[in-house]
Amino acid sequence: MPALPRRAGSLQDREEIASHLARALTVKGVLDTDGELFVLGHVLGRINADRLVVVPGGYVEGDVVARDVLIGGRLNGRVFALNVTLDASADVTGRIFHHTVTVAKGAKVDARMPWRPPSYFETLDQLPETRT
Amino acid sequence: MSVFSRNDKAPEPVSSAKPPETKPPERGDITMSTSYSDPKSVPVPPVSGLAPAMGAARPAAQGSASIISKALKITGQLESTEDIEILGEVNGDVRAVTVKVGPNAKVKGTVYGDEVELSGTVEGKIEAKKVVLTRTAHMSGDVIHSDIRIESGAFIDGHCRPEFGKTESKVSAPKTMTPPRDLSAPEKTNGAAAKV
Repeated sequence: MPALPRRAGSLQDREEIASHLARALTVKGVLDTDGELFVLGHVLGRINADRLVVVPGGYVEGDVVARDVLIGGRLNGRVFALNVTLDASADVTGRIFHHTVTVAKGAKVDARMPWRPPSYFETLDQLPETRT
Repeated sequence: MSVFSRNDKAPEPVSSAKPPETKPPERGDITMSTSYSDPKSVPVPPVSGLAPAMGAARPAAQGSASIISKALKITGQLESTEDIEILGEVNGDVRAVTVKVGPNAKVKGTVYGDEVELSGTVEGKIEAKKVVLTRTAHMSGDVIHSDIRIESGAFIDGHCRPEFGKTESKVSAPKTMTPPRDLSAPEKTNGAAAKV
């Protein structure tokens, strides 16, 4: 399976395959989707998604592989994404492998942010081992 | 040197045509950079860009129910003090207040809850106070319940035991139910004993 899932078609399709993890939910394990994933609760583990949104209050610990990542909450781990956006309320620790990155004023970032060409993400079948 | 001299010379002959074309973009860049230096105009683009995206999550999420969409596959455990609606695939245990397993959803593992409504497939076990198996339900494994409804067409391969909160209740029931009882019961008996 390719590391980056295919992008969903119409808006309705995307709405339909969007997943919402509510505030009260804690998930431990591997989450795999070719749609959107909204995290308001806690996720400990690995996330594969087309688009990941960590809403303020949400927390993700682990590796994230996605096309687009928008973080307004807390993240501790590694992100592998073409486009990364860190909102003003973001609190990020770890590494952010990106092609384009946006960091809003006020975001708290304790992370390395290595740039990679798009081809890096398309061929990302196995995540590299990095030392913390 | 020769390179520089060529460059210097080259633009001059064409200067009448080209400079006007090249200058406007420069002015555009300058205006952009000035707008960046203006503190008021800077925060607006990111905020307006991010806020709607976040807002999109809120309406659905404020219903407080988690939705595992049909495109999502989870390997691991889910725990919630609220409701979960599963339309995708879960390999692992699910623990929540109300769990709905949708028509094409699949859960391999144990589903714990106060209320479980199954329209999809569960391979494993259901432990809930109230269990509903709809006509599209496919249950492989035991159902432990204290109240069950099975619609015509539901498939069950396993035992239905009305033992929720009795024998194997260590998991979900004690958390909410027994502690208050345990605390209150001894006090009453002590009080009664003292009075007698």
